[in-house]
Amino acid sequence: MSTSGPHTRKLTVIAQDPSFLGPDGRIVRTQVEITAEDLQPGPWGYRVQVVDWDESAGKLYLPGEYPPPVNGHYPDPFENEPDERLLEDPRFHQQNAYALVMRTLMRFEHALGRRISWSFGRHQLKVAPHAFGDANAYYARREEALLFGYFPKQDGIVYACLSHDVVVHETTHALLDALRFRFMEPSSPDQAAFHEGFADIVALLSVFSLPDVVAAGLRRGIAAGVPENMVPEDALAPGALRASVLLSLAEEMGSEMSAIRGRPLRQSAQLDRNPAYYLEDPEFLAAHRRGEILVAAILNTFIEVWSARVNGLRTVADGMLDRERVVEEGAGAADYLMTMAIRALDYVPPVHLEFADFLTAMLTADAEIRPDDSRYNFREHLRRTFAAYGIYPVRSSERGDAAVPRARRRRSPAFPPGAAPEPGSWVPCRHLALSYDRTHFEPMLRDPDEVFRFVWENRVELGVFDGALSQVASVRPCLRVGPDGFVLRETVAEFVQQLELRASELRRLRIRAPQGMPPDEKVVLFGGATLVFDEYGRLKFYIHNALDGERQTARLAHQWNSGEWDDSSAGVSPFAELHLMRITDAAANVLEEW
Amino acid sequence: MPSMQPAGVTVFAYQVGFGDCFLLRFHYPSGDRHVLIDFGSFPQPDWARDGFMAGVARDIASRCGGKLHAVVATHRHADHINGFADNAGGPIIAGLQPEVVIQPWTEDPDAGDATVPAAGAPGKKSLSFARSLRDMEALAESVVAEATALRGAGRTGIARELQALGMDNIANPSAVRNLARMATKQQRYVHFGAGAGLGRVLPGVKVHVLGPPTLEQTDTIRKQRSSDSNEFWQLQAAASRMRVSAAGTLFPGAAVVAREGVPPHARWFVEKLRSIRGRELLEIVRALDNAMNNTSVILLFEVAGRKLLFPGDAQYENWMFALSQPSVRELLADVDLYKVGHHGSRNATPRSLWNLFTRRSADPQEPRRLTTLVSTMSGHHGNAKRKTEVPRRTLVAALERESTFFNTETINARQVKTQPCLEISFT
Repeated sequence: MSTSGPHTRKLTVIAQDPSFLGPDGRIVRTQVEITAEDLQPGPWGYRVQVVDWDESAGKLYLPGEYPPPVNGHYPDPFENEPDERLLEDPRFHQQNAYALVMRTLMRFEHALGRRISWSFGRHQLKVAPHAFGDANAYYARREEALLFGYFPKQDGIVYACLSHDVVVHETTHALLDALRFRFMEPSSPDQAAFHEGFADIVALLSVFSLPDVVAAGLRRGIAAGVPENMVPEDALAPGALRASVLLSLAEEMGSEMSAIRGRPLRQSAQLDRNPAYYLEDPEFLAAHRRGEILVAAILNTFIEVWSARVNGLRTVADGMLDRERVVEEGAGAADYLMTMAIRALDYVPPVHLEFADFLTAMLTADAEIRPDDSRYNFREHLRRTFAAYGIYPVRSSERGDAAVPRARRRRSPAFPPGAAPEPGSWVPCRHLALSYDRTHFEPMLRDPDEVFRFVWENRVELGVFDGALSQVASVRPCLRVGPDGFVLRETVAEFVQQLELRASELRRLRIRAPQGMPPDEKVVLFGGATLVFDEYGRLKFYIHNALDGERQTARLAHQWNSGEWDDSSAGVSPFAELHLMRITDAAANVLEEW
Repeated sequence: MPSMQPAGVTVFAYQVGFGDCFLLRFHYPSGDRHVLIDFGSFPQPDWARDGFMAGVARDIASRCGGKLHAVVATHRHADHINGFADNAGGPIIAGLQPEVVIQPWTEDPDAGDATVPAAGAPGKKSLSFARSLRDMEALAESVVAEATALRGAGRTGIARELQALGMDNIANPSAVRNLARMATKQQRYVHFGAGAGLGRVLPGVKVHVLGPPTLEQTDTIRKQRSSDSNEFWQLQAAASRMRVSAAGTLFPGAAVVAREGVPPHARWFVEKLRSIRGRELLEIVRALDNAMNNTSVILLFEVAGRKLLFPGDAQYENWMFALSQPSVRELLADVDLYKVGHHGSRNATPRSLWNLFTRRSADPQEPRRLTTLVSTMSGHHGNAKRKTEVPRRTLVAALERESTFFNTETINARQVKTQPCLEISFT
């Protein structure tokens, strides 16, 4: 084993999927830079273990060796190999899946400024690149694994593990589960939709953050005869970019994989800006449709920001811009937006997430690390595009209980001057009279017992519900670095409450049982808060959803009426089931059942 | 022509275990006319002997006096059509020379041949779906094969359910072929709003086709669909064919080891993968089963001032289009007989349909109280703990409470020799 060596290594991956070809007719590929380590055959590293077992064929495809560094660099075994080799050698498939999972993990760790532990309590996530002969791919918590299928097409085989966005999508499910364990619990329609929508967002932005892909998309919007290194300005208006990069790429990108999880890019890119989908349309209460709204809002933000960024570029000829710079700006916008989305996870409540919480968290997280947004107006674009889909930041008056039903909210909330540093962000909780006398600064940075003591001492001021099982589920010190080198130290803790009772007892908690629920039905309620402490150990944000109160009524009614209450599934993985719903486009019909 | 109006109708509901088999007798002054709706049993009752379905066919032949006017095969599940096979009662039923055979549009072998499809006929999308039904059957076949392997590996619970659902969805070529050739005058492949084609053989009877809708019809009441499910079934079927024919040839030159050679550090995971695979197949085959149920023909007969509703195994997705039409809702309000959908499962009697029936009444003495009829076999499908048992307890309770309820299960092994079916008459 080496004791010192390079900190990163480059591995070749397929940029999108094998059907995505460059101008030379070859599969577009790229090298991704990931953490260096002395890998065991698998690849099997400190966070990811690839086990290439094929359950349908009953075979294990043996892995390749990863030799030590040569001249200070780890070799990239498949660099410059012909397309045929990439498709036909299972060892490349193993590497492709490994590298993309690791890259995604690193993106999350970089954005959040700390390590992320998998939700199942072990260090290594298992990855099966050819798990079964099926049009399927999913994250399975109980199996601690990502499983990718394969299936035939007319002239060959489609491998889910070779599809960039599918691998990133499934990895994101695993990472979100690691960060917010309770987001897989029944709650509101938004929470049910969030896992899938967020996984799509990260997957699509991950693909768009690769300049090769952005360049390929852009080419579709440029008329023949324009020099290779230039882009006419009129191809860069938001509408034109949407047509070239989103809509036309959508037809190509992921078309082979549509049988796995539908066409997220196409669906979301085509979803017009209409607040009614989110606010009124029962079809969009189904998790697999509702997530599309979130993806549409983010993709439109991406296009608007990109268009705004290139607006400031100098023309190189009459009405022409330098193509490389335009591509760079697009990939940069996607990459930054992805960072914003990931960072937001530290500022959302630990239970009962709604899209408005996510928007508010994105605005807050970004304003914290990058106060000056005047150059590209990311946050202004976010507010505008989300509003166009009926999603608004949480109102300041709701701070402390983030889950007010927002169904009828029509306009952006007004913040009193000075109440929040950024419109639409969480209001810091300076006004709370909190006691720090009995807790100590150092253990508050990492010790759940110490943070719990803080919560316990301040339970009245924090509005904590008495009489429930209460736990500080995590305490995570973070060191975040902004784009300009600005460093932000924070500690993020999750406080969760749980109470089991009978339906007939709900009234005591100001909750109405859903119509038709038997009085002796067992009900489990969740509440909790995300606590963000500043570098001096003072509570900066308290993002809270109460365990009791009227808001639980709507959530329970939704669960009761949507089928989330009864688990009649075969118990594969909620994600496998959601993908199946998405593909077969099943209608929500629980109210029609017996 | 007053003489061409039937004076009444009698329904014979056969005890066929888990399946449907109904003979409708229309009482014309000139003599009775008969229509057979479905003829399948899967599985048969425990007490059934060899030649059980041929025996039922002979009983049908005798009751209809050697002549059927029409046959309806609501959809191609084994428990609705396997009696039509050569080795069951197919030849006997064919010998009754039905003039019209009605099946859903998804069964039309010539679908897509017409250069200019008639207005309202299934469009391109629908036809692609019809083709994907064949794929579903291929998939079911491979699921049954995998279930057998799982049973060998000790996963008996899941294997049993997979086997049952898989077998019900497997193609039954002989039954399908017989149905396609049986009609002496007309094969009808129907969709919502199409004519049933029974006007000549059942004069004075109005027959409405309320389902299945074509995909184009369904699309008119839904927003943009999020995916193309046909493609999913095609790929699933292709994947299953590959599993059967070419498993192991994925990477011909690659170094591999079989199960026995898996290194110790990977065995825990390999075992987990086997277990999740069984559950995953079950989810897929359930989705497939639902899709097939939703191809059911839904027929409403208006005869002698009565309304009889036969929806096959239609679930909500099939019903959704019909129920969205105000005129259909009005038509359904005063139904007299409701054949309970899908053997009483939780999702084949949409509550919005049930709530339309105005003749529901808790008073058994109520004149013209709603009659309901289920053909089922308890303990075969689903699980009460998960609220998926068939028939569903809560649905049966509502049927018993608010209608005059008939259940073929009430005919036991001893009674069946003298009374093979329930008899319900409307005059």
